[in-house]
Formats: sequence, structure tokens, C-alpha cells
Amino acid sequence: MTIQAGSIIKKERITIALAGQPNTGKSTVFNQLTGAAQHVGNWPGKTVEQKSGHYSHNGVQYHVIDLPGTYSLTANSLEETISRDFILKNKPDVVIVLVDASQLQRTMYLLADMLPMKIPIIVALNMMDVAEQHGRKIDVKMLEQKIGIPIVSMVATKKQDISELIKKVHHYVQQENPTGVCLPGLSEADEILSGRLQTILTGSIPSHYPVEWVALKLLEGDTGIIEMVRDHIPEQKWKKLEELLVQSDERVLSIASERFSWIQQVSADAVTSVSSRAAKITRSKFDQLATHPIWGVPIAIIITLAAFMAAIIIALPVMQATLVGIAPIVEGVREVMATAPHWLGAMLADGLLPGVSMALAFLGFMMGMFVVIGFLEDVGYMARVAFVADGFMTRIGLHGKSFMPMFSSLGCNIAGVLGSRVVDSWQQRMMTMVMAPIVPCLAVWTVTGFFGTLFFGSGVALITIILFLTLFLWLTFTGFLFKKILVKGEPGGMIMELPPYHKPNWRTIWRFTWLHTKSFLLRGFTLIAAASLVIWALSYLPNGEIDSSFLASIGRVLEPVGHLVGLNWQLVVALLAASLSKEAALATLGVLYGISSGSGDTSLTGLMLSGGVLEESSIGLVLRSAISPASALSFIFAVFYSVPCLGTVGAIFSETKSVKWTVAATSYYVFATLLAGFLAYRVGLLIF
Amino acid sequence: MVDLSTLQECETAVIHSLSGGQRFISRVSAMGFTPETTVTMLQNNSRGPVLVYLHDSQVALGRGEAEKIIIKKDDQ
Repeated sequence: MTIQAGSIIKKERITIALAGQPNTGKSTVFNQLTGAAQHVGNWPGKTVEQKSGHYSHNGVQYHVIDLPGTYSLTANSLEETISRDFILKNKPDVVIVLVDASQLQRTMYLLADMLPMKIPIIVALNMMDVAEQHGRKIDVKMLEQKIGIPIVSMVATKKQDISELIKKVHHYVQQENPTGVCLPGLSEADEILSGRLQTILTGSIPSHYPVEWVALKLLEGDTGIIEMVRDHIPEQKWKKLEELLVQSDERVLSIASERFSWIQQVSADAVTSVSSRAAKITRSKFDQLATHPIWGVPIAIIITLAAFMAAIIIALPVMQATLVGIAPIVEGVREVMATAPHWLGAMLADGLLPGVSMALAFLGFMMGMFVVIGFLEDVGYMARVAFVADGFMTRIGLHGKSFMPMFSSLGCNIAGVLGSRVVDSWQQRMMTMVMAPIVPCLAVWTVTGFFGTLFFGSGVALITIILFLTLFLWLTFTGFLFKKILVKGEPGGMIMELPPYHKPNWRTIWRFTWLHTKSFLLRGFTLIAAASLVIWALSYLPNGEIDSSFLASIGRVLEPVGHLVGLNWQLVVALLAASLSKEAALATLGVLYGISSGSGDTSLTGLMLSGGVLEESSIGLVLRSAISPASALSFIFAVFYSVPCLGTVGAIFSETKSVKWTVAATSYYVFATLLAGFLAYRVGLLIF
Repeated sequence: MVDLSTLQECETAVIHSLSGGQRFISRVSAMGFTPETTVTMLQNNSRGPVLVYLHDSQVALGRGEAEKIIIKKDDQ
């Protein structure tokens, strides 16, 4: 079968869509094409990240849209729907489809799925070097002739290969008409059904949907296309169509089989293998250990810990510089502002500057995390963690790839939120992102440990065990709840490619890091700096004392709610302060109960930066006489489940780029805090 | 006829058919699991996911997923 695409009119601005299966080197090609001219945002109306960029060649502007990496274009996931909707509705001038030469047949499937859309396609046959190492020679000219579309063989990291691709794209859209294309065929039965469907469909569906392709997708049982057709065609036609569709049950497999026979047919003569097949299956010692049912888990834990440390080491200079550097700047501002109104100086020195410095420190840490995540993704190790951790993670409703984000969340929730981007599917990624901050970070343990020891002595061990058990229950419940909300249709089990290991490409990792750090600067940074300024203002106004401030007033107003969970207004305020940073909770209590904080600085941000150094002996006496054991227990549980620190909320905002999601997640944490506090208080009242 | 989860390590078989819903079939067939495809088992412990090799790629499958893939062993 051949098709003839219409001639393309000379344009000044060309849109390129970049498509390809996961692990075919798509991001490397994207980076090589666009360089620093990149932008990251969301797909319209979705919380799925969209990368775009541009380059120019011979005076023409090329706009590159990076489509999500998907195995096919059937609407099994949000990513697949996004990709094909973009292709159909935005009509890019050319779609570059990435194919991995070392795994030629499997990665050509997306191309086979895409060709019937009758869109202008150029194939970028990547990883030619790896294919050669595997003893495989590909006759690109022959493959090009057989399929009938332009193919560029390349190694994505090589500059000359990229300029070859750029030239070919230029040539394709400016001058040449596409020649006859060989499309995957259908079995006889499918061909007849498809013909009947097309007769019904013609003239009834929006013109940007190719009729032949829609018929194909209907046969495949594609729910998105079925819905689209139902919305557009008259009732009578729909009835006829439905009858045909009942007959077409199970066509999906025969269509996929035909695609693979097409791949076989076009590639058979073009590919010559030199080495025997047995040689290709050998796995490295490391890979066998990494996927080992017993050794795989400790290896995953060690690598996750190492990754976390590496992120901190990378971030340390920035964090140190901001935290140490802030003191002299604050002093300087105080001196300059000595003659100005007190509130102005205080706002700058205690509110804005520490807030900005905190946001900068977070920024540093995030950069470190992005380098590490980019590295682990690039070398291909993440899928191995997913393989060994899947059994455990599915118990709390997550995917194996959620292991690293959930585990690093024990160190810092920000790491958990950022790490959730390694999860491929949208709904699993969102679930991981919301669930990672439920895991208590190191700072939370400090607070609960301190408080627990103060009130319950060695009983703190028992409390810790109970905290862990309830945490597991809560995560399981949350996973269950979100699955109900987010997942439609049958649950998807693990079907995951384990990509070959690659040498890390530092340029790709750096681009990834820089792009996302910029994105954080725009959103998370602003949120953190603004929110810390607001919290400072509440703790400062109207007269500069925290215990008579608006924050304290809010605490008093909330006291009836607090009573329900056994918290007095001081504890409520401490809990509010914990949303700035966990350490601030203890320091705030110190101030509210009139215990010196060591640094003598009683502004909230000052307390936070001082790390909340409290004199243990005095605070113990004061707090124990003012707070009942049941209230203390409630406070421990409430802090344990409280809203994550501002940095984490900033990270959620930066990653989802969605106010709705950020607010929804935060509300959920507030609910958890109240519930945990309430239950702990009631149980506490029964015991004590 | 047996399912893929019974294939021992290093054994090779040919896929005969797939059972399961349309969504499942759509997902696995896009990864290369279609009738007449040769599969080699790389790792199969008595429980947990399995690791197979097909079309020059390593693919991990949950045990439940592997059970839905029906194979013909060489000697059958």
C-alpha cells in the first residue's frame, strides 16, 4: 500500500514534534538540536511536563516539541493521548521518530503505529554505534527505500550526525514531496472490517482525524477514539458501528502482529547480524546482582543513599554560602536600616532575607538532586530498582520506580518529591509525589524524638514503633484512595523495559539540571520566599513580639479546633511554624513558653536559622508542667503527619506547575495532621 | 501449552497467544509480545516478577502478567 502526501508550502517557521519510545535517546537528540534554547512547561490543561525549544537553520526558525516517550499511540496512558492529540490537532510540519538501531525491531513499533496517520515523518535511527558493537550492520539506504520515508542514521551525541538530521529536516519540509510510503498491512478479516468502519465514518468525524487511522484504532478498541467517534456520529450510524465493533473483539493482537510482520518485512534484508544470538543475551555481573531477588534490594538502598549524599555534596557549597553568607548581610541591612522605621528593617532582616536565603539553600539542594536523578536515569539503573522493589511498593499502591523517591524522602521530602519524576506513568508519578511527603524526614524525627523523650522517656521507642506502623497504614490507605481517584479501568501490572546501561552523557544531565532549576526559580523559589515573608509578617505584626502577634492570635482563634485534638494555642502555633521548617516548631515553643532560645533572636526566621537550640533542662520542666501527656502525644502525631516544610510544598508546586494540585496535596496533609492528632489524643486520654 | 511464568531460566519458547483484557494486550503487544515471537527467560524465581529477553530487549513482567502469556516450548 502506498500513500502520496501533498506538497508542503514554503514556511518561515517550522514545527517539529520529537517522538520515540522510552530509552531511545530522545532527550539527547532534543538537547543537541535546541542547545540552551529550551523551555519547560506543562501540556495545556495537564500536569504532564512539556519540553520545547528552538533552533534556526538557513534563516528558518524550527520549533521543537518533545513528545512524551511512549511505546505506542493507543490511548493506554495520558502520555500516549497527549502525543497523538498533539500530532493530530497541531499538525506539526514534521515528526522525527527516534528508533534505537540496537533494538531495531521493537523500537520500530511506534513508527509502525504512527505511519497510518499519514503525517510527514523522518526517522532518526539512533545508537548506530551500539548496534555495531552488537555485531549488526544496517543498510540504511535499503531501509529508507523499503519504508519510503527519509532515515538519518546517527549517534545522537555526535555533532555531525545532528547537523545531518537538521539538513534532512530542512530539505524535507522546504523542497521535496514525500514519496510513496509502505504502510503496515492488515489481516484479511481486519481489512474487511476496517473497510466497513471507514464507510460509516466518512464524513462524520472531524476532518483532522484520518478516517483509515480512526478505523484502525476502533478495531484496536482504543477507548479515547471510541469516545471521540461516539461524540460526533449520528445515533443510527453509531448503532451500526457498535455491531461491527462487537465482531472486532480481540483484533488488537492481530493488528499488533501485522505491525511486527511489517517491521520484519521491511528490515529483514537491510539488517545483517554478524554475531550469534546467544552472545547478545549475556548479562553483566552487576546487572545480575542488581536484579537479584535478595541482593537487589540492599544494592538499591546503597545506591539511593549514595545518590542522596552525592546530591548533598553537590549542594553543600550553595547551601553553606547562603546560610553563612546571610548573617553579615542581615547585619549590614540592620545597620543601614537603623534610622528607618523598625518594621522595615525587621521585614528585610528577619523576613525577606532569611526567606530568600532559605529558598536559595533549597535551590542548591534541588540542583544537587537534579544532577543525581539525571545521572541515574541516564545510565539506565532506575529500572533495576523498580524490578526488585516492585513487590513491596505495590503493597502501598505504588510502582517499583517509586522506591527511590519514597526512600530518599526519609532523608528529605524535597528529594522525594523531585525523585518522583523517575516514575514513568502519570498517575503513578502523581501518587508518588503526593505520598513521598507523608514519609517523615530527618527533621521530623528530631522533633518527635525530642518531644517523645521529654515526655515519655524510654517510652519513645514504643511511640516510634507505633508511628511507623500507622505510617504504613496511612500510606496504604492513601495509595488505595488515590488509585480510586486517579486510575481508570483495569490496574496495570508491571510490564517494563530494562534498558541497556549507558555511559552518562554529562551534557544531557547538565541541560536537564539547568532546565529544571530554572523552572524551580520561577515557581518554587518565589513561593518559598513569599510564604516565608507572610509567615514572618504574621509572627511579627502588630508589635514585633511573637506571643502577641497575629500568628498567636490565629493560634488562639484555632484553639477550639486545637482542643478537639488536645492542643493548646501554643502547640497550635508551633504546629503552624512547623510548616516553615520542622526545626522551627521546637524553637517556637521555647519562645512561647518564655524559654531562651540561645541565640537571643526571637523572630521566627531567626529561630529557624539558629536551628532551635533549646536548653533541655529548663524546657523539660516548663513544658511538662504546662502540657498533659495526652496533649504531648497528640502533638507528636500531629507533627509527624503535618504539612511538609515550605521547601517541599515549593517543590510540589515546581514539579506539578499546578496550583490546584499543590493546594489539594497540602489540604490532604492538613487533614492527616488533624486526624492523627485527634486519634492520638483520644487514645492518650484513655491511657494517661 | 503453558504460560510464560513456567519457563525456566535460559529456556527459550515461542509465544502462542495472549489472554487478558484489551488494555493488557495492547500494552504487552506494543512491547513486542505477539504470537510467533521468540522469548528467552533470563530470570525466574518461584515468586515475584520475571525477566525475559525478546526483540533484542530485556523486559520485566509481573508474575500475573507472565501468566497471561501462553507459550509453546521447543519440545512441544
